[in-house]
Order: sequence, then C-alpha cells, then structure tokens
Amino acid sequence: MIRRFHKGFTISLCLSVLLCGASVADSQVHFSVSKAFGEKVIIAVSLFDVDGGTIVAPEDVRDVLLFDLSNSGHFSLIGNTEFVDETEIDDRISGRIDFQEWAALGAEILVKGKIEGTLSEMSIEATVYDLAKGKPIFGRRYSGRHGEWRAAVHHISDDIIKQLTGEEGIAQTRIAFVSNVTGSKEIYVMDYDGENLRRITRENAIAIYPDWFRGAEDLIYTVIRDSRHETRRVHIATGTTSPVTSFPGLNAFAAPSPRGEEVVMALSRDGNPEIYRLRADGSEPRRLTFGRNTESSPCWSPDGRRIAYVSDRSGVPQIYTMNATGGSPQRLTYQGRYNTSPDWSPKGDMVTFTSKIDGVFQICTVDVESKEIVRLTAGPGDKEDPSWAKDGRHIVYSVTLKGESDLYMLDIYELEPVRLTSGAGDYLSPAWSD
Amino acid sequence: MRRFAVLLMAVVLFAGAMFVLSGCGSREDVVEEPIIDPTVTEETDALTGDDLPLYEQPEDVVYIEPGSSIFDDIQFDFDSYDILSMNVGTLQEISRWLTEHDDVRVMIEGHCDERGTNEYNMALGEQRALAARRYLVGLGIGASRLGTVSYGEESPLDPRTTEDAWAKNRRAHFVISE
Repeated sequence: MIRRFHKGFTISLCLSVLLCGASVADSQVHFSVSKAFGEKVIIAVSLFDVDGGTIVAPEDVRDVLLFDLSNSGHFSLIGNTEFVDETEIDDRISGRIDFQEWAALGAEILVKGKIEGTLSEMSIEATVYDLAKGKPIFGRRYSGRHGEWRAAVHHISDDIIKQLTGEEGIAQTRIAFVSNVTGSKEIYVMDYDGENLRRITRENAIAIYPDWFRGAEDLIYTVIRDSRHETRRVHIATGTTSPVTSFPGLNAFAAPSPRGEEVVMALSRDGNPEIYRLRADGSEPRRLTFGRNTESSPCWSPDGRRIAYVSDRSGVPQIYTMNATGGSPQRLTYQGRYNTSPDWSPKGDMVTFTSKIDGVFQICTVDVESKEIVRLTAGPGDKEDPSWAKDGRHIVYSVTLKGESDLYMLDIYELEPVRLTSGAGDYLSPAWSD
Repeated sequence: MRRFAVLLMAVVLFAGAMFVLSGCGSREDVVEEPIIDPTVTEETDALTGDDLPLYEQPEDVVYIEPGSSIFDDIQFDFDSYDILSMNVGTLQEISRWLTEHDDVRVMIEGHCDERGTNEYNMALGEQRALAARRYLVGLGIGASRLGTVSYGEESPLDPRTTEDAWAKNRRAHFVISE
C-alpha cells in the first residue's frame, strides 16, 4: 500500500496499526461521534517520540500540526498543554496508552506519533485514536527528505481531517501573491501557513494579479513593462514563462477556467474595458460584455457556467454575474457604492468581494441565490482582493494599514483573522491554490 | 550611485526633449548646460567595484518620471475619467504638436491615486488613458498613433498620502513612443 506523493514522499499505511485494530481495516471509517454543524471535535496532540538522528524537532512538528488542525475549523484543542505533556510522560513510563486519562482531559481524539531519521531521510508516523472506543482510527507513515517535514505534517493534518470529517483539508495548499520586497513587484508563492515563501518571477518590472491554473503547477499574471501590459504564464517548479496575451491597452485580471483550458480577463482592445474569454494560450478572444462602462475583474463559478465581474453601469462599481458565454447579466450587490474584486466560492453558493464601508475597504460575502450580504471584517486597515481556499470556508486577503500591506487568512465561520506574512515589503493580491 | 544614474538619465532625456523641441522651431533655443552636483560625482567616484545594483539601474530608470515626456500631465477628479475643462488647453497643445510631427506615436499612461481598490484602479487608469485618447482623436489625431496603458495605482508621482499628492497622482501622462 504505497503510493507516490507529489513531492516525492512515500506514504504507507502503518502496518502495526493495521494489525492491531479491526476497525482500521476499513480505510473509510469515520469518527464514532457524530457532530452537528459548527460543533468541534476535541483533539489532543501528544509530543511525538524521536528515534534516530533527525533535525526535525518534535515541538515543531506539534506546532505545525496544532496550527493546521486548529485553523481547519473542525477541531478544538486541549487548552492545557501541561496536562497533555504529563499524560504523555505517564504513557511513556507505563508503556501503554491510558485512554481514560486522555479522555479525562476532555479529549475525544488523540494523535500520537514518532519521528525517525537516518542520514538521508526522515519519516513521521502518526496514529489517531478514538478515545471513547479506546481504539486506533488510522495510522500512517510519511517519508521524505529532512527538509520536507513540514509538507509531511500538512499531509498528516489533511488525512486526519479527511478521515474524521470526510472533508478536504487545505493544509497542503499554497498561496500566490505579489510582493515588492526586491524593489519591484514580482509574483511569489508560499505554503498556506505563510512558510516556504519563494519568488517565482524575475520580471524586474510590475508583475501583478497572479491566479492559479488547475493543478496548482502554473500561474497566470499581468506584467507592465515599457508602457505595455502583457499576461504571461509561469511554471512554478522551473520558473519558465511564456506569453499569453499582449493586446493593445488593458490586459488584466486573467482567471483560468475550472478545467484550465480557457481564461477570462479584461481587455480594452476594442476601445473600452470589457470581459473576454480566450483559450488558455491567449488565442480566440471572444468578447462577452458590450456595455459602454467599465467591466473588469472577472472570475468563474466553480461549474464554469457563470462569471462574476465588476461593472459600473449603475454609476458605481458593483458585482454582477453573467453566463460564461455572455448574456443574462444579473446584479448581485445592492448595498454600498464601491464593491469590487469578486471571487466565487468553490462550493458555488457565495461570492466574496471587497466593499467600501464607512470609508474603509472590508471583506464581505454575498449569497448567489438570496443576494444576502454578510460582512466578515471590521476595524481599520483596508482589506482587499479576497480569494477562497478550496474548502469554501477560508479566505485570504490583504490588509493595508499605515502604508504596510500583509496577508491574512480568515475562517468565515470563526472570523478570527490569522496573519500570514510579516517583515519588509508589501504583500498583496493573494490567490489560493486548489 | 542610484541617484547619479537617475540624474544622468533625466539629464539625457531632458537634453533629448530639448533637442526635439528646438527641432520644431517654435520654442526658445535655450539649452542650459546640465550641471551635475559635484558632491554626487565624488560620491560616485569613491565607490568601489562591489556596487551590485548598477546592473539593474537601466530597467529601474524606465519608470522614473518626469523626463520621458515633453507634455504636461492632465489631472482627473476622484474616481472619475471625465476630461476637465482646465486640461483642454494641454490636450489642444498635444494635438497641435502631433499634427506637426505626424511620424510620432504617443503612449498615454493612465494613473490613479491609491484610494480605490488596486483592481478597480487598474480599470479606472485605462479609462483615463482612453478618455484622453478619445479627446485627441476628436481633435483629428489618428487613433493608430495613440496607444493606452494603465498603471492603476502602481506608479504614483508623489507617494505621500495627502490630498495634494492624490491630486497629482490622478493623471494621464503622455510618453513619446516612436
């Protein structure tokens, strides 16, 4: 039972666990306690054992796992880590897991594990226990190079979420964004938790508006150089770029279709900013809007049938939707006088956007059916360019306060922003990968 | 070193612009000797060979304004791309000059202040450039000679967050491209 992981990891179901619990034989076993919406599973994560030489510190592994699980929205953590550590020590001394003691801490689920290292490789083994039953739910071993331990822990987190809730986790996703830290704006990518930040483009110009192609291997973006706009595609692993469009005037906000075969974007080649749909290589541009106003910032619905965009046909920018073949425009937002930057939820039910409220830009969602608007952020600092994670639950956006811009992640059901970037330079225009 | 390169570039462009102007014969033939601040020169001479940023300077300098234009900018009201009556004179002057130099193309850059959203400003900047273009076409300039490009809020003339700075930044800027 070994399959290749995209970064070169091998994952194997941990045999010792497979053999010791009958329930583990069924890989689709879910947690025994069913939870109502919004109710959380209480989880304890013990410090993993270490065996052999490795640079991977068990405290770091636990920190990453706790970050992933607590931000997933599905779990609440045992607050008192002292009790967790004491119980872990008791287990170690007795050589067995005291399920009753763990349950007495208030936990329903326990994660234990082991970090092993050789000269060339490390592996992290995680086992998840249902404390009410006193039985393991599943166990897995994740192997790779020492430097890839974070990816392994993110994988463990996503597997735990999948096993216990049936939902897809986002711990292995990435965020593309714009930073000017080198002095000019370039496209960067980081893990969803703000780690592993790296520069992708070397345009030495103004590179902006990144968006992902399906599969999260390629990005499309706009570069402004020598008084011209151009959209380019970049392969992240190699940094290889290729031109997509360079029509006269505006070439901006390119958004790949859900299948990745097409893009929708704003062009002004016919004398006015309008929405166009093109092949992914920039060929066969098809005009979708024919107003005399400003049409911009298009994005696809997850089924690829509709497009949300910004139009100022009412006199001020508002969010609209239309058929992906053009036609049947519908106004979505009727509150506020400055609504821009729409992004359609992967679940299809909501569009998030930026809205000017009392002079400050805030993040909102609008229900596509009822058109009900919910405001997600408050306080000072302009929040812009929201982008959905694939779980339809998390949003990333930029906050500009006192001239400095950083990226924040928000669980729309928790509304406690998590800051992802810090340090010199601005961090803008985030786009979340699938 | 950076300041020196920028200054030198500005001087070269200024001299170039003066050359173009004197060529059309309608301006006073005054080309002042460019004076380079001697302290800056000394500072440059004192630098040793490990000054890496020199290599990147030419590309940075492309975005340094003014210098690459011989025309005044025209300004806009907040969140608007209407041509203001106070700018009609500038547009007429540009139109006259382009009529006299019918082999020259102009790229019209549209710019915004920082207050709108980044995305919407990119569209607004394009509308400002297009509005200036329409006006010049209305004055008889061939549309094919007038390109447009939006910089949105990416290239402010004045980076401060004051009403004065914002007013300067809401502009169309005319760059001779050929």
